[in-house]
Amino acid sequence: MNESLEELAVLYVLDQLTPPERTAVEARLTDEPALAALVRDYESALAAGIGSLPPLQPSASVLGRIESGIDELESAGNLRRAQVGRSKPASLPSPVPRPLWVDWARWGIAAVITVSLAILAFQSLRNPRIQPVYVMVGLDANRTTFAELPSPEAKDPDTRFIQLASTAENLWRNPSARPLPAAPASGDNRGYALFDPASQQGFIAIEQLPALPGSQQYHLWVVDGKSGRIRDAGVLPLAGLNRGLYSFALDPAGTPAPDHVRPNFFITVEDTSTTQPRGKVVLGKESI
Amino acid sequence: MPSSESEVREEIALLAAIAGGGREAFRELYGRYSAPLFSLALRFVGDTGTAEEVLQDACLKIWRHAGSYDPAKSRPFTWAVTILRRTAIDQLRRQQRTPPALPIPADDFAPAEFASGENTRRATETHETAARVRSVLATLASPQRDALELALFSTLTHAEIAARLAQPLGSVKTWIRRGLSDLRQTLSLPPP
Repeated sequence: MNESLEELAVLYVLDQLTPPERTAVEARLTDEPALAALVRDYESALAAGIGSLPPLQPSASVLGRIESGIDELESAGNLRRAQVGRSKPASLPSPVPRPLWVDWARWGIAAVITVSLAILAFQSLRNPRIQPVYVMVGLDANRTTFAELPSPEAKDPDTRFIQLASTAENLWRNPSARPLPAAPASGDNRGYALFDPASQQGFIAIEQLPALPGSQQYHLWVVDGKSGRIRDAGVLPLAGLNRGLYSFALDPAGTPAPDHVRPNFFITVEDTSTTQPRGKVVLGKESI
Repeated sequence: MPSSESEVREEIALLAAIAGGGREAFRELYGRYSAPLFSLALRFVGDTGTAEEVLQDACLKIWRHAGSYDPAKSRPFTWAVTILRRTAIDQLRRQQRTPPALPIPADDFAPAEFASGENTRRATETHETAARVRSVLATLASPQRDALELALFSTLTHAEIAARLAQPLGSVKTWIRRGLSDLRQTLSLPPP
């Protein structure tokens, strides 16, 4: 059996591929019966593996909660359809004779619309729409560097996270693709953050940090680029490792800065759980 | 849990009915999938309350996206597991938690108790299949077995599994592939 084909089938079934890789495999499934057969076999193995777990039942209330959720989805869908229906213009001709002032009013409205469009066009030329971006921040013990990457237009946070994760994984695997100045010599503390201002989610990549004693932990902080407020992004689960790629999400209650205002990141060593940085800064800088 | 092609076809038809708004079809699919998905969600997140939330969210996604299910790409159960896994990853990320540690305690491999109402034939088949899976797992040495269990029952990527087990990524990938391949070959043989 072709080992690389088997490997591909396993990675596909276990959902270990990036979205572009997954799409490529799905395209091959229709043309390559051998790959399709392997995927089917590994799907059976996955199902059997899961079937070996004790079949625990969720509480009876879960189905009720799901059905309530479905009811809400359906009523929201019906409301949207009703609003679309109301917005349709009436197509019946008016049987009432039209007074003269109506024609004057129409010319007036047309003039107002024309002037408004001209103003909008002029403003859009002066202030071109800001393209959504990911902010990339290079971190080491002595400096912080910034770069921006174009980000997709998707609005849904889940979709944005999947796309961000794909970008983060690609950049992690391919250092040459990172739009940042070269990292300092090996042995120094170094890493970088990839942040999506639109969804307030990001990835922190640690390329080098010394292992800490069990009583201490690395803590990630984000400095709001507009207000300078420091926000808690969580504890890095390095657990004896000195490198790794980790996701984080900021508290949605915080007020996100506009895309073009750069946030800053830094990492401290803390002895205890804390909501404010108290320990030594080991990566990045606290001030912008 | 689908154990035959006819059951897979039934589940494809159920998803088509769900895409058309079929509540009965949804309840039927939930009846089939809720126990294995909940058991898996519990492995993913480590506590019953969060596992139920993950199951609930995943089932709502199944309802919303049933129309985009494509039988050429995966079986319904694999599709549901993928949705569940991604939902669990999202939930852990929101709670800023790391996936719970494995391996699975030995007492989890006790003979399974089947839900009342499940027919005897399906229960017996599932029980036999589970026994064969356990026999394959029992033949594996510790790091290989841990790697396979983490691949099947956790939200970790293969790189994260390698880091957690402190083993080279290449070895971990090979163990997972060989372990699943052994499972695949064992399941393709007629029952003893």
